[in-house]
Amino acid sequence: MKRILKAVANTVGGWFEARLRLKESVMPILEHPIPAGAAGPKGWWYVFGSASMTLLFLQIATGIGLALVYVPSADQAYQSLEYLNYRQPFGWFLRSIHYWSGSGMVVMVVVHMTQVFLHGSYKYPRELTWIFGVCLLLLTLGMAFTGQVLRWDADAYWGVGVGASMAGRVPVAGPGIVELLIGGPTIGASTLSRFFALHVFIIPGLLLALVGGHLWLVITRGISEPPVPGQPVDPKTYDAKYHEEVKKGKPFLGDAMTKDALFSSLVVLVIVALAAIIGPKGPGGLPDPTLTGANPRPDWPFLWLFGLLSLSPAGLETFVMLAFPAVLVVCLLLVPFVSNRGERAPSRRPVAVLVVLVGGTTLAVLTYEGMTSPWSPQMGAWSGDTIPTAVVKRSTPLELQGAAVFQNKNCRNCHALEGIGGKRGPDLSSVGVRLTRDQLIDQINNGTPGGGNMPAYGKHVRPAEMDAMVAFLVSLRPEGQPPAKTAGQTTKK
Amino acid sequence: MTLAPKWVPVWLAIAFLASGCNPPGKPTLPQTSGRPEDLKDFDALYSSNCAACHGKDGTLGPAPPLNDPLFLRIVPDAELVRVITEGRAGTPMAPFDHSKGGPLTTAQVKILAAGLKTKWGTPGVMTDVPGYALAPGGNSEDGMMTFMMACASCHGENGKGGKSGEQRVGAINDPAYLALSSNQALRRYIITGRPDLGMPSYNEKTNRPHNFKTLTAQDVADLTSLLDSWRSPATK
Repeated sequence: MKRILKAVANTVGGWFEARLRLKESVMPILEHPIPAGAAGPKGWWYVFGSASMTLLFLQIATGIGLALVYVPSADQAYQSLEYLNYRQPFGWFLRSIHYWSGSGMVVMVVVHMTQVFLHGSYKYPRELTWIFGVCLLLLTLGMAFTGQVLRWDADAYWGVGVGASMAGRVPVAGPGIVELLIGGPTIGASTLSRFFALHVFIIPGLLLALVGGHLWLVITRGISEPPVPGQPVDPKTYDAKYHEEVKKGKPFLGDAMTKDALFSSLVVLVIVALAAIIGPKGPGGLPDPTLTGANPRPDWPFLWLFGLLSLSPAGLETFVMLAFPAVLVVCLLLVPFVSNRGERAPSRRPVAVLVVLVGGTTLAVLTYEGMTSPWSPQMGAWSGDTIPTAVVKRSTPLELQGAAVFQNKNCRNCHALEGIGGKRGPDLSSVGVRLTRDQLIDQINNGTPGGGNMPAYGKHVRPAEMDAMVAFLVSLRPEGQPPAKTAGQTTKK
Repeated sequence: MTLAPKWVPVWLAIAFLASGCNPPGKPTLPQTSGRPEDLKDFDALYSSNCAACHGKDGTLGPAPPLNDPLFLRIVPDAELVRVITEGRAGTPMAPFDHSKGGPLTTAQVKILAAGLKTKWGTPGVMTDVPGYALAPGGNSEDGMMTFMMACASCHGENGKGGKSGEQRVGAINDPAYLALSSNQALRRYIITGRPDLGMPSYNEKTNRPHNFKTLTAQDVADLTSLLDSWRSPATK
């Protein structure tokens, strides 16, 4: 029986091979030799690129599934997502995998790029591979942004609004770009169609073409050998040296491919687990500009930019919006031209390591700021965030009324108590230790001097309200701590 | 053997099936349309509109507790609707109805008013409790006699504050406190006390002198009148 099956397989396989000639075309590519070092334990550094590509294919597969149900029209998109979430069997799971795999793709592309940067793999003769890679990063971010718009909830609606406003600031061409991007001067019926076309046809088309180019370059110029300190790249001698090294190398089909396959499988498993445990993102609030309670946030890959824009002074806005991202991209593109020779090992390139550390920390901090957005008052805090019960229990009737006035006057929207409430102003949990009664009255009446952060509330607070509120604020002290005193008061005692 | 990495996908598949294809990430159908005016759930409305002042579960907030069965027995339904709608002028209680500049629809105000009694009230009628509504005929001099008998042991002479056991009791004759409190709120505290902060109701003997007698409707009116007489002339 086995023999018969084998004979059939051989005959069928032979028929196809005679016509496709795979042994001559594909096999040499799969078996192309790679440096011996890249096939050993150090080969684990080389798995991130293939994981990014695996996730791209997962995105295509799940994306096609979603496109079968999704309706790219402004009045039905939201409903079609709800249908996927709640009615279509496993529709939510498809959405969930698509979201997590998309997020994973951004992570993998960034990790891959960081590894290539730290190992100096972008140096001669792989400058063009790096440039293709930078374009792939931008396209991946483009997919993340357009995908977020297709979710067509409040975040998406306002996200497009912010994106279009940014584009509108481009000198001369601004209005034209906005018109092209959102299909008119305002967000409307054609906006979603534009973003659907971008997300489903234009960007994926470019992405696949560039992935093809990126891979072709990887195969023709070979995988870089793991960096060794003291073996700098010299474009004059590199090709010959690499040729020699590859002669002692191993075929890609084998150890290296097994590592790629194992890591990609692990990544897919993690994504499926996240999709099942955490679930899909949104759709969030309705995409209705009349809903005043909307508190839109971009998806996580753009939170750092959101944070940066919110924290930059008004005068710098146009620069931060237009010039800064362009400068970043140009810097990335210039990397292999600034240093295409010399040491590759991170231990010999302190500047490169520092760039990664500083850049990573900056991105992380800005992302955290974007996530918590402490500059935004929390408009529901005054009526929703409770006064800590320990404070209520020890308060006098006057202090209790003061606490109610504190809430009624919306102070809580900017000032947290024990970490709960707005973060725009300082947390007031122990303000009684810092400010005296008179200082508090002055602060509330006149706000921050010089037109600072806190407005003057003097005209909005009656004397009895001020008395009660200040009594409450003075009482906000850790147990056993005396109220704040001015220097004069201290010396008198 | 079965814990080897190659079995991980199988375990995951089993976990997925074991959850009845309902793993924790599966979204559940939301109860509302997402429009704020469509929110009809008492708990959600309470926690976003009332909890900040009246306390998370209706107690231990700076404002009078709403999770107080005695209060809920005596307060008329229409009064709850009216106060949520209009607020109480001069006090920190804000108006909540759209028509008065508040954040809620009339339907939502009614859900809140009705929900307070359903959630925290106890059914039944109490006939011998002094009524909720402000009553005329209070006499502040008689009120002072009652105050000495029923209140002064904690609130101190003339309401200047005192102690209840180890607990400090703040002044209730403070002009700012009284300026921000309606006579209705003062009357309500005299009747219901503040159970969440240990203040006894009109008939509780805890922490009170031996000669304490349950407060009558007249006593309550007299005490309200006394507190009102402590207001500074400007805020009367």
